[in-house]
Amino acid sequence: MNAIAEKPFQEIMPKAILAKLGNLNGDTIHILVATDLDAHLRYGVQWVVVTDRQVVVVPEQGDNGQIIVPIEEVKSVKVEERVGSGTLEIERKTGATVSVPYSRTMMSKFAEVADAIRQLSEDEALELPTQLEETHCHTCGKRLPEKNGVCAACLKKWETFRRIVSYMAAYPVKMVVTILLTLVSALLTLLPPKVTQYVIDGVLGSDFALVVIPFIETTDRVERLGLLISALVVVRVAIWGIEVATQWLGRSLGLRAIGDLREDLYRAFQLLPVRFYDKRKVGALVSRMTNDTDRMEGLMVYDFYFIFSNIMMFVGILGLLFWTSWELTLYVLAPIPLIIFAGTKIWYRIMGFWTRWSGKWSRLYAQLNESIHGIRVVKAFAQEEREGKRFDEHNEALMDVSVGGERLWFAFFTVTNFFMSFGVFFVWYIGGRQILNDELSLGELMAFLSYLWMLYQPLRWFGDFYSFILRAFASAQRVFEVVDGEPEPFDNPNAVRKERIDGDLKFENVYFGYDPGKPVLKGVDLDVKAGEMIGLVGKSGTGKSTLINLICRFYDPDRGQVLVDGVPMNDLALNDLRSQIGMVHQQPFLFDGTIADNIAYGNPSATFDDVIRAALAAEAHEFIVKKPDGYDMRVGERGNRLSGGEKQRISIARAILHDPRILILDEATSSLDTPTEKKIQAAIARLVEGRTTFAIAHRLSTLRSADRLVVIDEGKVAEEGSHEELMERQGIFYRLVKTQQESTAVVGVGAIEGDAAEDS
Amino acid sequence: MTTDILEMDKMEETKKETKWKPTPIETVHPEHVDAGKVRLFKDPDWVLRMTIEGDRSYLLVKVVRAAPLTQPDRYFCILDIKDEAICMLEDLDQLEKNSHPFVFEEMERRYLTAEIESIESLQNEYGVSYWNVETNRGTREFVAKSVAEHAQWLGERRLMIFDVDGNRFEVTDIDKLDKRSQGLLESVL
Repeated sequence: MNAIAEKPFQEIMPKAILAKLGNLNGDTIHILVATDLDAHLRYGVQWVVVTDRQVVVVPEQGDNGQIIVPIEEVKSVKVEERVGSGTLEIERKTGATVSVPYSRTMMSKFAEVADAIRQLSEDEALELPTQLEETHCHTCGKRLPEKNGVCAACLKKWETFRRIVSYMAAYPVKMVVTILLTLVSALLTLLPPKVTQYVIDGVLGSDFALVVIPFIETTDRVERLGLLISALVVVRVAIWGIEVATQWLGRSLGLRAIGDLREDLYRAFQLLPVRFYDKRKVGALVSRMTNDTDRMEGLMVYDFYFIFSNIMMFVGILGLLFWTSWELTLYVLAPIPLIIFAGTKIWYRIMGFWTRWSGKWSRLYAQLNESIHGIRVVKAFAQEEREGKRFDEHNEALMDVSVGGERLWFAFFTVTNFFMSFGVFFVWYIGGRQILNDELSLGELMAFLSYLWMLYQPLRWFGDFYSFILRAFASAQRVFEVVDGEPEPFDNPNAVRKERIDGDLKFENVYFGYDPGKPVLKGVDLDVKAGEMIGLVGKSGTGKSTLINLICRFYDPDRGQVLVDGVPMNDLALNDLRSQIGMVHQQPFLFDGTIADNIAYGNPSATFDDVIRAALAAEAHEFIVKKPDGYDMRVGERGNRLSGGEKQRISIARAILHDPRILILDEATSSLDTPTEKKIQAAIARLVEGRTTFAIAHRLSTLRSADRLVVIDEGKVAEEGSHEELMERQGIFYRLVKTQQESTAVVGVGAIEGDAAEDS
Repeated sequence: MTTDILEMDKMEETKKETKWKPTPIETVHPEHVDAGKVRLFKDPDWVLRMTIEGDRSYLLVKVVRAAPLTQPDRYFCILDIKDEAICMLEDLDQLEKNSHPFVFEEMERRYLTAEIESIESLQNEYGVSYWNVETNRGTREFVAKSVAEHAQWLGERRLMIFDVDGNRFEVTDIDKLDKRSQGLLESVL
């Protein structure tokens, strides 16, 4: 259904449809794409063909029903976003509008198709993107969970295991030694039953003299006993010693490896683009850092070596069993194929439980995170009880899943254990008869029984481990999903380095939307000179903050480009760009540390003198020194021990010390009382000097110092000019000012009103 | 002492007497429109228009659900060309009969949800689930991420699943699925 074309917009059309289409009068076909919904909104296909002279819509089912719209008949074309679908709407100069539905999967494709038809109908040169974002896996053709992302279906269990091991393989010597020691210890564990066999047959048995004991020549019973028991003691001590060494080495190795993994995960969190965080809950992400790595820690620190030792034990014991009596061994092993069969059947169900278990944990975390962050709101609305209930629900769901998983496992395990232990009865009966017939010695039977019990040990362990490794794997999948996320292009070797940018910024026909087919910016053109202060004005939701997001390169434009000093932003080294952008927000985020730390955040090498100078310039010094601990005061999480105005001034000081070339003031002075605002205004006036500045403010009076005001409306630059010019123009800006004047609560608009009166 | 106790008793009594009444919520926008006077019609065939009898007419309107998931059959809002609310119809019965088909048609066009009838296969890899389902709109394959986290419960047994592109798949009643589909579904929830 989702045809993957070699080239975008030239999908492979079935021959039957091609035939139906005819030769289209020999037109050049620019676009040949399929939808995934038919005209009746059922899953099916319609083909949209765009040539230089016409647009043809062909349903895949049925004989005809083609709709042909000559390009010159196109009045307008757009994509309409609906709930769960979208449509390509071609309005004709005469006649009904053609509406082609498709699912949300095809949004971005048809946004381009619509634009291409528009270009053709407006006689513009046709410009189609040569590359679309990858949405399907190259190998298996499945939809990728994230555009340009990793195909989850192609990642294998073995691959997960290999990747976990690769973290340990970073310490090869330790790893190899630990594994070798584990193997030796496993082999030594196999010795005691054999020694016991010799004790029974070669010391205690009536035919002891006939029994040959390796390495022991004497036939004296007491001497033999002494030597054999000494051997048992030596083996036990050796095993103990090796185990201590293995644990010593293994734990440090595992902990280091998991430390590296945590580091990678944290780094990934830092380097992932802002887009990654758009639709995820903080608590759920934190859970990957805590819970999921914890699970993996268990595997890497404690269980990893047991895999080797238990495999070794299992194989060794099996060999010894066969060697002692192959007949008896076959009886014992009879139920094993059945167990393996049941095991594979149950694998996915248990795996499912543990995936869900992780998911439930995330939800619990997310809720915890939310209710603790919002604790003031919870209390103010007296909703503690309800939040408690919500928590209980999540907690219970988690418990249910855990209990379900454990029960399933327990049931499986006890049943198999029960059948396996039946083997012992066979062994006693058949082995006993073999002894009576002199085919087997008592010592051999005892050794056989000991080995049999020992065989259950790795089996039981694999049982427990199996469930555990499944949990660890499910966790690993979630962790690697983050680690594998496409990071921002910080280390692009071809990037243009610019240690000092001037601050010229140019938007060239920039289109951008957070969701495909839903543009927020629709062709922004803006030229800003270095050192200029721009006030961004517009109703909320018109794209002001989006523009800022593009300046910071938190997102890349869908079309068009942003130039910094004449260099396309995408070619500029990201680090160079970001390190020269400073931001002052309405709700500044401070880190838990001292005031001085926070001021020096963007410039850690700053001296204390610098910090004080920045604080002075930001009008913050005065209030800081009044605090008992002055600059050494800890501000608390998110700076919650400071007032809003204090935080704001510290964030201005932080920006001053950071010394950016491009400065962004996002509602930097709103929600402050007038005296505080005056102080901050003064501080900001100092800050903007000589820097390219973008200021967003709802209170239009705060933009009076701007060199130029830019009014954004409907995703475009609607008006541009000084505040006087815009007032004269009586356009959007004028109306915004008027609206503010009407609302008496707004402080400072009187000034503008005065200006307006003077102007007129 | 005694007077204190008497006074407290009195206070208790008055407390019992004063019953809490919710403060009425006043609204001004959108202005109240008598739903009985609303007429929806198409002219030309592909443009939905509206007239409030004896008052005014709109050349292009849109009908949307106020709460499409929980109240699909009630609370229809009519928006003008600028997406500003003109009025709300709490109940379709308020609207004259001839206008009803236009509302249904708009709903069909605007909201596309596929109802899952059975799950043919469901594979879960690394928190990403690969679905192959039979729906009221035909067979469909889709991919969803962390369903347990992102699916929206609309009732005890009613569930909305969103795929990675934001397409919507609804299970109207988990119990009505066949046992196999139920098992597959439970494995990701």
